Amino acid sequence: MKVSLKWLQSMVEVPARLDDFVEKLDLTGTAVESVSKTGVSLEGIFVGHILKKEKHPDADTLWVTTVDVGNNNLGADASPEALQIVCGAQNFQAGNKVAVALVGTVLPDGNKIKKTKLRGVESRGMNCSARELGLGDDHEGIMILPADAPIGMPFAEYYRAGDTILDLEITPNRPDCMSMLGIAREVAAVYGSSYQLGRRVPSPPVEGKASDMVHVKIDDIERCARYTARIIKGVTVGPSPEWLAERITAAGARPINNIVDATNYIMFETGQPLHAFDLDTLAKDTKGRVLIGVRAAKEGEKFTTLDEVERTLSSDTTVIVDGNAAGKTGVPIALAGVMGGLDSEVTETTINVLLESASFNSGHTSRTSRSLKLFSESSARFERGVDDATCDDFSARAAALIAELGGGTACEGVVDCYPAPRILPILTLRFDRMRDVLGANISNEEALELLVRLGCVMEPLSAEACRIIPPSFRPDLEREVDLYEEVLRLWGMDRVVPQLPGGEGRIGSRTREQVLAEKMGFALRALGLNETMTYAFASEKDMELLGMQPPEGAEPVKLINPLNAEQSELRLTILPGLLRSVAYNQKHGVSDVQLYEVGAVFLTGEGRKQPLERPQVAGVLCGSWNKQAWNREAQALDFFDAKGVIEQLARELCVADLRFVALSGNEAPWLTDGQAALVKSGSTTLGWLGTIHPRVAEAFEANSPIIAFELEIKLLLRACAEARPFEPVSVFPAVELDLALVVDADLPAEQLLKVARSAGGKLLSEVRIFDVFADEAKLGAHKKSLALAFCYRSADRTLTSEEVDKLHSKVIRKLEAATGGVIRS
Amino acid sequence: MQIVEIEALGESALQSIAAASSSKELEQVRIAVLGKKGSLTQVLRGMGSVRQEERASLGALVNTTRVRLEEALERRASELKASELEASIKSEAVDVTLPGRSHPLGSEHLISRLTREICEVFRGIGYRVVEGPEVETEYYNFTALNAPADHPSRSLQDTFYVLDRTGVQSKILDESEVLLRPQTSTAQVRVMEEEDPPIYILAPGRVYRRDTADPSHLPQFTQIEGLVVDRGINFAQLKGTLEYFCKEIFGEDRKTRFRPHFFPFTEPSAEVDVSCGICAGEGCRFCGGTGWLEILGCGIVDPNVFGYVGIDSEEYTGFAFGMGVERIACLKYDVPDLRMLLEGDMRFLRQF
Repeated sequence: MKVSLKWLQSMVEVPARLDDFVEKLDLTGTAVESVSKTGVSLEGIFVGHILKKEKHPDADTLWVTTVDVGNNNLGADASPEALQIVCGAQNFQAGNKVAVALVGTVLPDGNKIKKTKLRGVESRGMNCSARELGLGDDHEGIMILPADAPIGMPFAEYYRAGDTILDLEITPNRPDCMSMLGIAREVAAVYGSSYQLGRRVPSPPVEGKASDMVHVKIDDIERCARYTARIIKGVTVGPSPEWLAERITAAGARPINNIVDATNYIMFETGQPLHAFDLDTLAKDTKGRVLIGVRAAKEGEKFTTLDEVERTLSSDTTVIVDGNAAGKTGVPIALAGVMGGLDSEVTETTINVLLESASFNSGHTSRTSRSLKLFSESSARFERGVDDATCDDFSARAAALIAELGGGTACEGVVDCYPAPRILPILTLRFDRMRDVLGANISNEEALELLVRLGCVMEPLSAEACRIIPPSFRPDLEREVDLYEEVLRLWGMDRVVPQLPGGEGRIGSRTREQVLAEKMGFALRALGLNETMTYAFASEKDMELLGMQPPEGAEPVKLINPLNAEQSELRLTILPGLLRSVAYNQKHGVSDVQLYEVGAVFLTGEGRKQPLERPQVAGVLCGSWNKQAWNREAQALDFFDAKGVIEQLARELCVADLRFVALSGNEAPWLTDGQAALVKSGSTTLGWLGTIHPRVAEAFEANSPIIAFELEIKLLLRACAEARPFEPVSVFPAVELDLALVVDADLPAEQLLKVARSAGGKLLSEVRIFDVFADEAKLGAHKKSLALAFCYRSADRTLTSEEVDKLHSKVIRKLEAATGGVIRS
Repeated sequence: MQIVEIEALGESALQSIAAASSSKELEQVRIAVLGKKGSLTQVLRGMGSVRQEERASLGALVNTTRVRLEEALERRASELKASELEASIKSEAVDVTLPGRSHPLGSEHLISRLTREICEVFRGIGYRVVEGPEVETEYYNFTALNAPADHPSRSLQDTFYVLDRTGVQSKILDESEVLLRPQTSTAQVRVMEEEDPPIYILAPGRVYRRDTADPSHLPQFTQIEGLVVDRGINFAQLKGTLEYFCKEIFGEDRKTRFRPHFFPFTEPSAEVDVSCGICAGEGCRFCGGTGWLEILGCGIVDPNVFGYVGIDSEEYTGFAFGMGVERIACLKYDVPDLRMLLEGDMRFLRQF
């Protein structure tokens, strides 16, 4: 909320040092979001008197004016000399007083005034509009000052410009602070001083009775706790006086006319939103009475608000209607608490005014604002709640102000429909409990003094407790803890001495899953992958681009209100995000990319409220591990780099029986046929691994080859053993033998190793493939040669050469028999 | 053979040994003298033809010569070995300023790292880490956290809603009862429903708000929620806990300040600022001239929240706090554009 310091100072004493004041507000719960000064750059602007106004010889819309600025412009003989200024405004006469910017002045909008020629006529200065002076939006013409403005006086001094505007953050629990009065009350409570409403408004002359002219009926008191109507007759609509325009501008509104400005002024001052209807536009019954009704809008009912937009209403919206006679539903004249209607708004021709001051339900108001996207100063206040106890007091003040400004008379009394005044809660404050919860040594007397300052009424109960009745403007004080907060914030959070809890139930342990997940991250990074994060959002097209199907029976989670089409769902796989990151890197000249992400994917389906959230880990590799270095090649990353990552990860996590099973292009269309595998632990599929299909890479604007994997973390962690069993380290020598076997090209190497291991038994401590090659000339078509290194060793003795030869021959026989392979000599 | 000849042979061999300039040359000398066909070996082999009376003295001479030569060979061999080693070391000297050879280590994402570090601080004072679902029901996110039915944060403008596949539609506007959680506070309710006090937990996780991505906003970011419920928990302990946390994460010299604020699920509530690390609280452009940087929200658990989960608010009290990890990352590293956190740019990721 915008608070004019000048205005506030007229209501309550404010410390001289602004910094101290701002800090105090911050530390008592009213955050100061910004501090700005107005009118500081009005230097070089003076009150001028238009002596002559003549038509420009060469331009129809321009005027050549002669303006007296007193001593601010001296002629050759050092005596005051009037300035010739060419002016484009149409709203002035010779004899008007205006604000004149001299040559060399920089206006608040940054414009510098120069001596210039306009269509051949010299111009030495500018007659300014309110907007050019930074004093409002009015740019219809130049600002006309009252006739008694002293010629030559610095404008800033004349206008008493130079205010400080504090932009305060009002938390949702403080509807009372949405007004100058509320802030003044808060400041007084903070400093223990007093406040008053400020500017006195004279009592208006009275004529007629309001109850003869208007009748009010509320259909549903849940929607409207109180509705008051007053009548002001015979007003003259016109511009507001400067003081009013200035205050309204400071509060962030635009001056419109004296009647509307008066209602806005009282709203800014007291927090009570008001609406002025043009009484003569409202329907009357045979006795000449306006029958006001407050009711739910009809579903689909149309209504044109004063911003000239036709709105279609729902029954959740509350409307004010006229013509609310028995058996009739009336016609809407305003959206309760949000905005008035175009047909009943106060215009230049309005003479008689019906003034509404009411308390509408916050929920209905807020939902109406949201659904119609119509937010007003009024709705902002009703959304938080408006005190029904003071509707009429502030209405009376507004009526008097309208009569003062518009020169009319007020009808006697008010029509006040207030079926059920709110009953104020009676709270019990237990002093010891308060000290226990706050952990602060605040005395009973201090606490009570602070609550009384806030407007609470107290009745002592005993030495331990006190009865507290909060003021009507503090609906947020409903429970005992609400009082603790009030005491604490005024007593000072900074005075509370910090401690640490001493409870015994504190155990900073990790779950097995947390230990393993952390280990997984460390292992992936040790293997050279960099952790990243991508959006959990996905495009509808992602799965289609991949050629991937959701798991059986699952479907993606669809957002009701996505930000854009690319983020209209939640992801079923992490892969697209990583592919986009690869493309991003490649576009920015980074060709070596090694990324992994840990995050949830989301699966829903018929009958599910919340989706299944499945944590997964995915990785992508492209380019090489490192750039070419003086002592290291830049080896292109391929399938086996990613496979190596998974093998080592599985080793670190003690995953039992890790296996890779070839996947065909049909089973995994996002992967390249022949470079794709399922990753398994025993019979459980943990995920997949493979080279991204070039078509898919291209669809994500990335360059191939990219190798990727994605694993389900829960399954991976379930496959983890606590540790591998210990195997004794043999002290006996090993016998190492090599062997090359020519087999069919499509024979899986895994099969060879399996046969060798089974044939070699316990004495074969290691077998590894150290070479693979295919050469049609040497090996024949569709053949490959696999070179194996065998290491035989016993845990408890030295093996004899006969023993090893016998075993190795057996291994060879079994290999040949099982694979149809031939030993290469 | 005469004594003189043997002595001459010995002398000449000694000279050859001394002259040998490499282990290889020395070995050749050894073979030429002491090898199977070596000159001294030949002399020994020819002893049979030496007269009986000369044999003893000649034999003794040959033996002493052999011993002398063997000793000389050994001495020379170790001399040569030492000098050859020295030469080889010299020749293998490298430019130690050339870069090393290694498999590059990957880096942890800045946000994960900070989250881990923060969790570690609280584990150290006895908190467990828990996680809750990212797609939450309106009940856990708003209602049970005491948010009023018409709270603006519930609006479609601020919170992402998803299709409820049970077919239930919310009565309010186009909202559903299922949403992407805009705060990790949801974990509070779930933990209190499942566990009895004492509760000391930390709940990190991804959250979502309907903000278009720009340098200072992301629709997806990370929060950490803390919750303590125990007997005798008070505001002073909340203050002590968060002051400890700030010093651990930002540094021992940083100050904290508590400003009263409002959250539906705590009462009293506060926002916590940490003193600006750049100007040490003097006020600079980084902290907007205030000397303080806002880092978290906190408060004493509202009795209404205990009401929803069936905890007796007279017996137990609690405190809760929540912080944005991206915000802390920005404050610690001055990241100019939050979107960098989600781009996966290797040049960014590898800095942390």
